[in-house]
Amino acid sequence: MTDENYDDEEIILSELDDEELTLQMHDDLYDGLREEVVEGTEILLARNWSAEKVLNEALVAGMTIVGIDFRDGILFVPEVLLAANAMKGGMAILKPLLVESGVEPIGKMVIGTVKGDIHDIGKNLVGMMMEGAGFEVVDIGINNSVEDYLAALEEHNPDILGMSALLTTTMPYMKVVIDELVRLNIRDDYVVLVGGAPLNEEFGQAVGADGYCRDAAQAAQMAPLLLHNRRASRA
Amino acid sequence: MSVRLNKRSGGREARRVSRQTNIEQIIPFIERKIPYYELLDEAGLELIERNADTVLEQIGLDFKDFPQALDLFSAAGADVQGDRVRFPPGMCRSIIQNSAPAEYVQHARNPERNVIIGGNRTVLAPAYGSPFVRGLDGVRRYATLNDFQDLVKLTYMSPGLHHSGGTVCEPVDVPVNKRHFDMVYSHIKLSDKPFMGSVTSAERAQDTVDMVELVFGKEFIQTHTVLTSLINVNSPLTFDATMLGAATVYASNNQATIISPFILAGAMSPVTVAGTVTQILAEALAGMAYIQLVRPGAPVIFGTFAAAVSMQSGAPTFGTPEPSKIMYLTASLARRLGVPFRSGGSLCGSKIADAQAAYESANTLQAGALCGVNFMLHTAGWLEGGLTVGFEKFIMDVDQANMLQVLLQGVDLSETGQALDALHEVGPGSHFLGASHTQANFETAFYRSTIADNNSFEQWQQEGGKDAGARANAICRKMLDSYVAPPLDAAVDEALIDLMVRRKALSEDRSY
Ligand code: B1M
Repeated sequence: MTDENYDDEEIILSELDDEELTLQMHDDLYDGLREEVVEGTEILLARNWSAEKVLNEALVAGMTIVGIDFRDGILFVPEVLLAANAMKGGMAILKPLLVESGVEPIGKMVIGTVKGDIHDIGKNLVGMMMEGAGFEVVDIGINNSVEDYLAALEEHNPDILGMSALLTTTMPYMKVVIDELVRLNIRDDYVVLVGGAPLNEEFGQAVGADGYCRDAAQAAQMAPLLLHNRRASRA
Repeated sequence: MSVRLNKRSGGREARRVSRQTNIEQIIPFIERKIPYYELLDEAGLELIERNADTVLEQIGLDFKDFPQALDLFSAAGADVQGDRVRFPPGMCRSIIQNSAPAEYVQHARNPERNVIIGGNRTVLAPAYGSPFVRGLDGVRRYATLNDFQDLVKLTYMSPGLHHSGGTVCEPVDVPVNKRHFDMVYSHIKLSDKPFMGSVTSAERAQDTVDMVELVFGKEFIQTHTVLTSLINVNSPLTFDATMLGAATVYASNNQATIISPFILAGAMSPVTVAGTVTQILAEALAGMAYIQLVRPGAPVIFGTFAAAVSMQSGAPTFGTPEPSKIMYLTASLARRLGVPFRSGGSLCGSKIADAQAAYESANTLQAGALCGVNFMLHTAGWLEGGLTVGFEKFIMDVDQANMLQVLLQGVDLSETGQALDALHEVGPGSHFLGASHTQANFETAFYRSTIADNNSFEQWQQEGGKDAGARANAICRKMLDSYVAPPLDAAVDEALIDLMVRRKALSEDRSY
């Protein structure tokens, strides 16, 4: 990047009015500036914004822009990683406040690659996009057995279970996991999302998942919708 | 009179037969007669070798969940802490150079098809590992055992492919824990070219070894190599227990393994060519040294599969210049080390056999040929970054593979090749079509593509205005219709079937 892209003036976040600051935070998220996003979050809270308002108007709105430009090929993966990391910085401050005020958090996801499979590049991208969308993501890595998944569900109590598989020799294992959830009568406690290049829509349905995601962006789009529907049907 | 009789070649009937049937002359592998294309000078290659030694010494590699590897390395002088193994400079190189063969023969059940892997030879094999096929009906679907068998047949019938390959597609319709039996059996039964073994678990590798024992004999395989199998490194700098388990079974039985860092640069290695090559060399050195510790002298190939990831989506990309540079450099490094080299293939990211597929595949294929690949996997059929194998693409790629034989042959400098007599005979003006030199050599002078249409526009249009894919489609159907299996000894066949039936009965069908 050349210097022409920058204003010479130093921006003092605390001197901006609410609207300017929100827009500046969208830019800072876009540029992956974690410290600045954290500072902006603190300033808005100090100005008596509710945690929920900060979350939606500053962070989620900013990441929506990031998501669009990633989809359109303007932002690159390493940049989205930085943006998601900046988002996480803001979320860390907001999370306890959201819990306190009884606001339902965006959601939590446990994600891992299934047993016998060590492919994880796609899964890592999904984790990144989900974090960017405000989800708390617990990545349990590769080569996960039914027991590993169950232990993670028990420990982290997520809303979403995500499974990834890149091999036709390992993808049927997703059914083994889902069947076990059914057997234990806890299948409906989670939204189950599956993905990986050798899967397809029919396969997702056949193993009993709630959704098959063809890519990371779609996972981040689908997750809030499915979660919303599930919460609505329970209310 | 006898003189006049000898001039007769049988007229129309005989000519039609000889021009239209592929009476195959077996060329078991390509013997290269042209120089290697060297991308870097001595100093550049030495720098990369030094950097790889630094990686091996200071960072090391993880050998995950596989104590046997840790024990062997530790006994050989490596520093082992937990799963992490660090190697003193030069250790891996000297272990490899002490015992790994520079080349080896992989025996086929038909000895005429034995291949030599290494040195100035190039052996071409079809695509590997795709869960989907794009059939002759143009539909993309999960692959079946039937597709697998068709691909083995097509490979058998393609003179330019010297090796039957391994998982030519993934037969998704057969239970996961049993499909390796059907794959190995299909290679043996439907073809007589050499092939690859199962690597998805140590147990399946052992089943493969047990099957080839029935074909070649128990003693024979301990002194001869009849399998070459693919062991991928879980880059960066990690070997997993699945791959190590299979590698150990093969090496202990004197069977060859291809230690392949399989890199999506940018995700699994640094974004630069030199950085990626450094990592590849470190990983390959560690893996090949392990094989030599398991069984000194077991054949091992330095493998490299490199693609770049799209920084915009993470998807693998093919046919771009950087992976070609990586291939040139790793080929040079393998030669300096003194082991055979695997890379290349007709790689592409395209979903169908279109212009993207052709450009990208041609780029990789040419670089693979010029850099000096000894064993070329994925030569035919590859689409979609390896997710799909296409039947039309397969036929188009085979046409390209056939051309490599001619390219690598180099230049004929014999008297016939020099063609001075033709130049004398024709002289200035006139033309060469009727010259006796041309009459004597025209039939084999130029490579004849099976796919290309070079007719007039009008003729092409009259014949249906078909594109290359459609022409390949027709060829493919014809080949499958005319396939005749190579004979297999009935007792061997029975023994193989018996073993499969017994082993399959030992466990439930499993989907993992
Ligand atoms: C909510 O949950 C969700 C939602 C969406 C999800 C999701 C989860 N997971 C993924 N998504 C989705 O979002 C992601 C981002 O947009 C996308 O993720 P993807 O993962 O699809 O995309 C990534 C961004 C980039 N893509 C990838 O990372 C995968 C690329 C390919 C080339 C591939 C790679 C890189 C590797 N491999 Co492997 N590998 C192949 C792959 C072929 C291909 N073109 O897909 C494939 C899958 N591998 C294969 C094979 C055979 C193997 N591999 C193996 C090893 C490896 C490497 C270690 C070398 C490496 C993985 C490194 C790593 N850290 O992940 C071996 C197995 C090891 C093991 N135990 O698992 C081995 C068995 C090799 C061997 N020797 O035979 C083939 C599959 C065969 C089959 N049975 O189906 C294969 C098609 C290539 C081939 N033709 O051989 C979507 O699918």
